[in-house]
Amino acid sequence: MTAAIEVENLRKRYEDVQALDGVSLSVPEGSFFGLLGPNGAGKTTFINILVGLVRRTGGRAEVFGHDVESEYRQARDAIGLAPQEFNVDRFFPIREVLKHKAGYHGVPAGEARGRADEVLKRVGIYEKRDTRFHWLSGGMKRRFMLARALITDPDLLILDEPTAGVDVQLRHELWDLITELNESGTTILLTTHYIEEAERLCDEVAILDSGNLVTVATPEELMDRGPDRITVTLRDAPASAPDLPTLAANRREGRVESVEMDGDQLVVTATKGGLVAPDLVRALDRAGHEIVDFDISRTSLEEVFVEMTREGGSDQQTEPVAAADGGVGRTNRGDSE
Amino acid sequence: MSAASGLTGFKTLVRREILRFLRRPRNTFVPPFVTNVLYFSVFGVILGDRVGGIEIAGDAVPYILFILPGLVVLGAISNAFENASFSIFHGRWNDYIEEPLTSPMSYSRMVVAYIAAGATRGLLVGTLIAVIGAFFTTVGVAHPIYLVAFALVITLLFSSFGVVGGLWADDWDNLTMMNQFIVRPLVFFGGVFYAVRDLPSPYYELSLLNPMVYMVNGVRYGFLGVSEVDPAWSLAVLSALTAAILAIDVVLFKRGYGLTE
Repeated sequence: MTAAIEVENLRKRYEDVQALDGVSLSVPEGSFFGLLGPNGAGKTTFINILVGLVRRTGGRAEVFGHDVESEYRQARDAIGLAPQEFNVDRFFPIREVLKHKAGYHGVPAGEARGRADEVLKRVGIYEKRDTRFHWLSGGMKRRFMLARALITDPDLLILDEPTAGVDVQLRHELWDLITELNESGTTILLTTHYIEEAERLCDEVAILDSGNLVTVATPEELMDRGPDRITVTLRDAPASAPDLPTLAANRREGRVESVEMDGDQLVVTATKGGLVAPDLVRALDRAGHEIVDFDISRTSLEEVFVEMTREGGSDQQTEPVAAADGGVGRTNRGDSE
Repeated sequence: MSAASGLTGFKTLVRREILRFLRRPRNTFVPPFVTNVLYFSVFGVILGDRVGGIEIAGDAVPYILFILPGLVVLGAISNAFENASFSIFHGRWNDYIEEPLTSPMSYSRMVVAYIAAGATRGLLVGTLIAVIGAFFTTVGVAHPIYLVAFALVITLLFSSFGVVGGLWADDWDNLTMMNQFIVRPLVFFGGVFYAVRDLPSPYYELSLLNPMVYMVNGVRYGFLGVSEVDPAWSLAVLSALTAAILAIDVVLFKRGYGLTE
């Protein structure tokens, strides 16, 4: 099966900043793929290369087997993009903007009209169809961005921070809508700052940091890589951590990272905590400790993400951003998170 | 992506561009209307009576009729240039040019769409000015084919220049500068208000380097049947220049000049 996105050794340099430094990854058709990374990691540059707003410096980038530069028409025909920054035609009411966007993609006028009404209803802003984008509320603007990405019925939907700055209710509504689209076969590429969003929605996530691909894995696999925290509350807790043979054995095998007392709680940090926990409970019982409470907390994707991008020094290398003074930022386009 | 669907994209962009200026008649038509009523009143009627006729190729042409083709050219090319440059620059400024840019439309179709819309505006404004002139004097059309051909070529040419301007500008001041300090002076020194043959040497020879002389005279030939330069030769050179600038526009779009990083 052809991958929805296939990039190999993709590079982009903005003068003295290496925004993408040899990224290679494949997004399977029909998948829900997350692109995570701190500010300036290269996420928006990656997306903009796919849609033709940024020219790559080197490497290969294909959408459904079509090179994004030499076969840009076929590649762009497959893509629906909802960028993070609002880039909507402000001369026309939103219904007309949608009809124009559909027309640019070759949809005849009559069909475009029907599609515009359909997507506006789908995202819940049909009653605002004759309003210009500028007059919509923040949440409606986000909904519109999604509607515009959907008007061309894309095979690949690219969502760059689609829920940035929206309230919880709308975020959940957008999640439901995106999930529905994915279930109907649309490939989704999602960039987000909300790790919960990636954890909840994505089949697979790639973590970018300072233009480098750190890893590609399922959220489950990533969370498995982080340690679990076992907290056991003891009655008449000892001053120091009890010397338990099972903990020592697990430590030797590298499964247990640390054991310490925190007040009346014994805190054990271990990879695959679920395997360590039964032995720990039995050992404590045998040693005569009475367990009052017990808890295992799994490492969150957020903690894994922070850990993986901590040493990348991403704050030191920031991608160029669009001109902040409202000027034309085409010459220094980059991540704008 | 079939050819038919590519054509739909082209038609949509042309329609969008034309609707943008048609829905703002106060911006599009009122300024040239007021300006040209003033031109015809002051230069044509008040000063024109004192100037009398201008002699071209042995014919004495009333001054108001003499300036009419130049005013048509001035209005037509200014509007063609302004429309294309404004539309592209405004789209870049507010990023919404990304709507067509991220579509499967070919770069050449995008360019031609912007140029066609700009030329349409130039033709409409040029026609408006001719109609205003008809209220001040009797306007005839001596060579309709030449008139249409020149009107088409000069509006297409300046719309093509407008595309370059819209891509090049990185501030609003750049757009104003191009129109006020390049286009208008060239037109004013292009024989709109005087016959270039009346100029002493070397100003006459220098004027012949100004492409506006050929445009004004071409349109004058269409209206009045008289010209200071050979209209067929002028039309050929202007057509070639238009094709060259259009090709440059397409190359700039393909390279992403001013559009992509």
